[in-house]
Amino acid sequence: MNKLPLLLRINGEMHDVLVEQYWSLLHVLRDVLGLTGTKENCLEAECGVCTVLLDGKAVNSCILLAVQCRGRDILTVEGLGRPGNLHKLQQAFIDYGAAQCGYCTPGMLLVAKSWLDEHPGVVPEPDAVREAIAGTLCRCTGYQKIVDAICSAAARVQEPG
Amino acid sequence: MAFQVHQPETVEEAIRLAGEFGPDAGFLAGGTDLIIQINRKRCAPRHLIALGGIDGLSGIELHTHEIALGALTTHKTIEQSPIFEGPLAALTEAACVVGGHQIRNVATIGGNVVNASPAADLLPPLLALDASVVLVGGRGTRRLSIAEFLRGPGITDRSDDELLVSLALARPPRRAATAFIKTGRRRAMEIAIVCVATLLELDDAGSCRTVRIALGAVGPTAMRMPEAEHALLGCEPTQAALREAGRIAAACCAPISDVRASADYRRMLVQALVPRALARCLQRIEVSRQ
Repeated sequence: MNKLPLLLRINGEMHDVLVEQYWSLLHVLRDVLGLTGTKENCLEAECGVCTVLLDGKAVNSCILLAVQCRGRDILTVEGLGRPGNLHKLQQAFIDYGAAQCGYCTPGMLLVAKSWLDEHPGVVPEPDAVREAIAGTLCRCTGYQKIVDAICSAAARVQEPG
Repeated sequence: MAFQVHQPETVEEAIRLAGEFGPDAGFLAGGTDLIIQINRKRCAPRHLIALGGIDGLSGIELHTHEIALGALTTHKTIEQSPIFEGPLAALTEAACVVGGHQIRNVATIGGNVVNASPAADLLPPLLALDASVVLVGGRGTRRLSIAEFLRGPGITDRSDDELLVSLALARPPRRAATAFIKTGRRRAMEIAIVCVATLLELDDAGSCRTVRIALGAVGPTAMRMPEAEHALLGCEPTQAALREAGRIAAACCAPISDVRASADYRRMLVQALVPRALARCLQRIEVSRQ
């Protein structure tokens, strides 16, 4: 089938890509654009490692077609923060040792950002955070430190970038 | 996996495309089920008609006697909308236990209904709220109740060229409350073992004027339990009466044994959860009177 030209806005930058109509956003991010921060695993929206923000909302990029993202705003972990200018969630994950193998970390960071953005000014109870990350699995099972880091980040003020 | 994606901007165009491609086409809403089924090679549509570009398929409209929900309304929108507090609480309670946040942000109410899974979380509350679906197709628009729409596991009354555009909920009566309870092995990301939705309305004397009991995952479709409802009508909602309704519902439902639970266990859950959901309705009616 003929590839389609598609203009995607990712981390604030426009990307002109040629896509097959059946390609997932995950495939375009990793295999076309080399943005490998977004991880690939179950491909069935069970594990959450492929989470990105679409118009600010956490979604599983493995089951989202790239052509559905035309004109929409995509944020991946590469756009969340940079060395020297980390997002407060990233800093909290470092402070609390919340990454073990690190494979779930990008998805955890983004689903946490989406939740915090949905609940501005709220410092969540641990149970609320556990519910928020229910769709993002950590197979190292280091959940306690992840929950602690997210609760701590919620209480921090984001340093101006 | 290779399909062509069409992105119509109007309902008419979507229906025309569906009519043209017939069984080779599928409507794509949130895609949280369809894309997975395609990836698993359980279905192989050659054309996907993506609905996201059509204005007017999402959003909630309040009318005098009913509430219209666009087919593309997401579970998250239902979860967060204050409209569903109070007597419509069962719908919110069901929406917020579907998948994780990532799923609820894209999965739509129309998709959940059209999929017609016997275990779909939104169907019991929609049955308890006496919801209708509005279908638009090549031969015009028709409206039918959810119960008429659901024909079997994954089977509905919709024809290939019909699009479910909205759902209509009758506004519940003044002194009514609803409740939803789901059981699974964990509290999130689960396909229900059993789910129960109830609506209860009391008359001035405190007897049951309206009773609706709907169950999921214990039959070929989500379904109402008329025998259990009739047993309560006109009665005082005592604990014993609620338990009797649970016993009747457990006897009348038609569960199967599968990987998630045995039929016997499902019946035990129905017997326990129907009275619990009804008691929750009673509590809510009590609270709303204060």
